Amino acid sequence: MDKDYIHIILADDDEDDRLLFTDAFDELKINTKVNTFNDGVELMDYLNSPDAILPNVLFLDLNMPKKNGIECLYEIKSNDRFSDIAIAIFSTSSSEEHIEETFVQGANIYIKKPSDFTTLKKVLGDVVTINWQYHTSGLNKDNFLLRL
Amino acid sequence: MRIRRIYASNIFLKSIFVISIFTIFFISVVTYKHISLVNNSFRWVNHSYEINLELERLVSHLKDAETGQRGFLLTQDSAYLAPYLNSKIKIATSFAKVKAFTKNNPLQQQNIRALKFYINKRQNYLSLVLHLSREKSLIDENLKAKLDIGRVTMDSIRTQIDDMIQLEKKALKQRELYYNDTMKVTPVFIYVTLLITLVLISISYLRINKDLEKFKNANNRLAVLNECNNLAENVGSFGSWQLDLETNEFIFSDNCYRLLGFPPQAFLASQDNFIKYVHPEDVQTFRKITSKMVKSGKLNPFTYRIMRKDKKIRYFRTTGRIVTSKAGDKILIGTNSDVTDEVLASLSLAQQNTELEATNKELLAFNYVASHDLQEPLRKIQTFVSRLSDKEYENLSDSGKEFMGRINSSVERMRILIDDLLQYSRTTKTEKIFEDCDLNQLLDNVKIDMAQLIEEKKAKIQYQSLPQLKVISFQIQQLFSNLINNSLKYSKLEIAPEIKILCQKVIATDEERLPKNSKEKFYKITFIDNGIGFEQEYAEKIFVLFNRLHNKNDYEGTGIGLAICKKIVENHRGFIFGEATPNVGAIFTIYLPEEYNE
Repeated sequence: MDKDYIHIILADDDEDDRLLFTDAFDELKINTKVNTFNDGVELMDYLNSPDAILPNVLFLDLNMPKKNGIECLYEIKSNDRFSDIAIAIFSTSSSEEHIEETFVQGANIYIKKPSDFTTLKKVLGDVVTINWQYHTSGLNKDNFLLRL
Repeated sequence: MRIRRIYASNIFLKSIFVISIFTIFFISVVTYKHISLVNNSFRWVNHSYEINLELERLVSHLKDAETGQRGFLLTQDSAYLAPYLNSKIKIATSFAKVKAFTKNNPLQQQNIRALKFYINKRQNYLSLVLHLSREKSLIDENLKAKLDIGRVTMDSIRTQIDDMIQLEKKALKQRELYYNDTMKVTPVFIYVTLLITLVLISISYLRINKDLEKFKNANNRLAVLNECNNLAENVGSFGSWQLDLETNEFIFSDNCYRLLGFPPQAFLASQDNFIKYVHPEDVQTFRKITSKMVKSGKLNPFTYRIMRKDKKIRYFRTTGRIVTSKAGDKILIGTNSDVTDEVLASLSLAQQNTELEATNKELLAFNYVASHDLQEPLRKIQTFVSRLSDKEYENLSDSGKEFMGRINSSVERMRILIDDLLQYSRTTKTEKIFEDCDLNQLLDNVKIDMAQLIEEKKAKIQYQSLPQLKVISFQIQQLFSNLINNSLKYSKLEIAPEIKILCQKVIATDEERLPKNSKEKFYKITFIDNGIGFEQEYAEKIFVLFNRLHNKNDYEGTGIGLAICKKIVENHRGFIFGEATPNVGAIFTIYLPEEYNE
């Protein structure tokens, strides 16, 4: 890695969630750069622009207007340029269908949005410091959903 | 069977008829022959008598001649000569007759020739004596000699004629004998044959009578059946029809007409006449389906609309198939039934069903969406409360801190409630994918998931080996989890919880709580704990959604857990029962079918 920070992008239509997300990283003592987008369309426009800096980890909310998380995931996975991005699904829902579908589509991890700030910080800290290479090679459906 | 017997008897009657005709023909031939034989015999007898009579006459004529001659010799009166002269012609005639009668008999011919010789000799001597008597006296020696010769010749004639008569009598006797023989045999023969014929005819008469009786009975039965059928058609609102495939002619039963609003047999039975009352929109389909019925030999049930004479619209169902009669005729038979009530009922049922399904779906969707979408703001409340208590806790007054605690516990409770509701709605909503699964593995997963709680409560869980079953694995895991969780939750404060899980294979009929009609095999899995139990009267109530037995301050809980359990067991076509003794413990029994059948 030639950069000394971890580049993180979050696409979420909920303002509160975006705020909590950036707050959590502010409080975490990890060198990160966090960008947020309000929906899928904004996210894909950015990623598809030629001078975009591709993130190390992309957090995708599923339920977004215009373009939802699943559609974004599908587009990203069908483009070789984005093959190095680790994708974390970041959703309120923990329904079997969503977990199954995102797993099949090639997401790397599934996070159910925690309901207290301490847990949120811990989860996000864990996720961005995971050795993705290692995690992905041993990936199966049991460790896909991040259990707390 | 009965019909075949009648056919056999038909052949029997025909053969008897033929035999009788032949016998009568035979008898008439025999009788004819017999009559001609009698006729013949009669002629022969007649013939013999005629010959004999003529021979007697001949003798008598000769005697006449002799008498005439004697008279003349005594009286010399020529008046006595008249019989003598007459007799000459009579003798010749008689002789000729005798000769003619006997011309077929060689023996008699021989006798005739001898007789002729004697007669001629006798006549010569008669005339010779007459001639001599004119010249000589009656006492002349020569005359006397001639008279003697005449007498001797006369004797010879008598003998000859006697012989001939005897011969004829003998022949007659022979013929009589033969005739008698024949006469004796023939009538017996005729009687016997006639008797046999009579017997045969009597038998056939009896047979015909019996067959007639049978036909009459069969006819009666048929009439009763027909009446039954009519009644059935009336009560069941259907009519029957027949199509003779040879003649292409239709027969409609009376009720066929009534169903269309007509009196029986009101119009000529034909397909075209019937189609006039088929609903115009259904005519094309009707023609299409019925056009194939003759070729395929059957008419699968199909439903269409009818516009009756009174313009009322009714639903009909028609079906038919070809039957082959004993005589080999092919007939297409079928029924038209008025299924309007049925169709309307099923239509309204289908509509109600669709509505119900839609409502149900809506309800499920509502349940799911409500619980799912409620999560989002709740989560944020929790997060912000947690931030507030992290960052601003020190700035709050004592009562503010207490309020914060109350907010926290209320929000936590709401989260559990929403989670459980979501769980419940998923149990009904998700696709039911059955896969082979080791139940021991599922139980192990539950133990791992609940390890912390088990540790805290110092709980002991013992279990027997569980089977491998086709189940919805995540649901069964949920079931185990809920039951164990319940036992841990409702444990006694001072005693460490102990949970025993037993498993055995049972047959439905042996278990008094299972429906008796099924012979299915079940796995009976029993969860026994030593917790606080409950009053037996609540044994059924505990499975109802949102039903709680305890104050929520004493025992936390949403009243959803056991409802989920019941739902899961029902998804597997199984049964769940709870029983308990307060302060001793609760027993939950699950029955899961050995094989899940759709």
